Amino acid sequence: MLQVALSAFGGGLSAWSQRIVVEQKRWMTDEEFLTGLTVARLFPGPNQINMAVYIGTSFRGLPGALAALAGMLLVPFTLLMALGVLYFSVHALPAVDRVLAGVVAAAAGMALSMGFKILHEYWKDPVALLLAALVFVGLAFGHLRLVPVVLVSGPIAMAWYWPRGEASR
Amino acid sequence: MTLLLAAACRPMHLSDLGNLARVIWQFLSLSLFSLGGGNTLLAEYHHLSVDKFCWLTNSQFADLYALAEAAPGPSSMIVGLLGLGAGWPEGPFWALLSGYGAELAILLPSTLLMVMACLSWRHLEHSPWRHAFERGMGPITLGILFAVGLKILRTADTGRDGHLSLPGVLVSLVVCVLMLRTRISPLLFMAIAGLLGAFGIINR
Repeated sequence: MLQVALSAFGGGLSAWSQRIVVEQKRWMTDEEFLTGLTVARLFPGPNQINMAVYIGTSFRGLPGALAALAGMLLVPFTLLMALGVLYFSVHALPAVDRVLAGVVAAAAGMALSMGFKILHEYWKDPVALLLAALVFVGLAFGHLRLVPVVLVSGPIAMAWYWPRGEASR
Repeated sequence: MTLLLAAACRPMHLSDLGNLARVIWQFLSLSLFSLGGGNTLLAEYHHLSVDKFCWLTNSQFADLYALAEAAPGPSSMIVGLLGLGAGWPEGPFWALLSGYGAELAILLPSTLLMVMACLSWRHLEHSPWRHAFERGMGPITLGILFAVGLKILRTADTGRDGHLSLPGVLVSLVVCVLMLRTRISPLLFMAIAGLLGAFGIINR
């Protein structure tokens, strides 16, 4: 887990962990691993962390999940906390602030690309695009908060996409 | 404008322990709403830490977001950094406690749910609830991600004078396109943009 986490600079994690978990350690089959990815994406929580929980659970249930989480997070998180302490100690220095002004512009570009990355999956579904547009407008311009938006739009979307059986399709 | 903003946001004074409890409670209650990975919550994190509780300034939030993206490990660990910022005025001990507490709080509910999901997946796999949830939440996630992208863009590229910085926005747009069209590591973009910042081409 640690090996996987440390090599996860900016994504690409699932390919790495698949190599280690399936090919090197033979902890689970390819199929089990892919099921895990599906479950990890479906349920709330960061995908990579959910994947670690899945792998841990398949071994030992809850204790296994907690062990996998600890193994995956402890070192990178402690490292990040150290960086955070350093940041809060020096961020007021003008030189640091100037560099960061540039870095955050690049990071904002990454954030902006997230939506575009999955847009093509919904391109042929006008209802999905409408839902997405309503959620976007509500959050970005209507100053609505995420929790009520999800609580209202979620059930509507689920009702619309409720499987209707093969005959009616 | 900065002064005005600073004056508008007054942190409420709580005891050390009270502040810690509030940090933990806020993240506990958001955990189950992190659809499609953790990034859908970024705008909520901004709302909590900048607008509502004044743990951080706008540019500090942007800095921490960049830090979490650049560091190894899942970028959702930004929650730990926000907790750290919330506890920073109370000294390093409380700051670290608050950082670790925040991260545990955001992960605990979703982890418990994930464990239950794994244990009962055989029953859930073909349930209509699963299909409806999977298909229905996709478009909502899409809408949220666009709103988050716009929020982070505004946060990162707004100068201390309260205006959008044109060079900053341009760099963000270029990076966005390159992220979609190439497989270059984002760390490289951050390094180059950092240099542009050092030379004063991007500023805030």
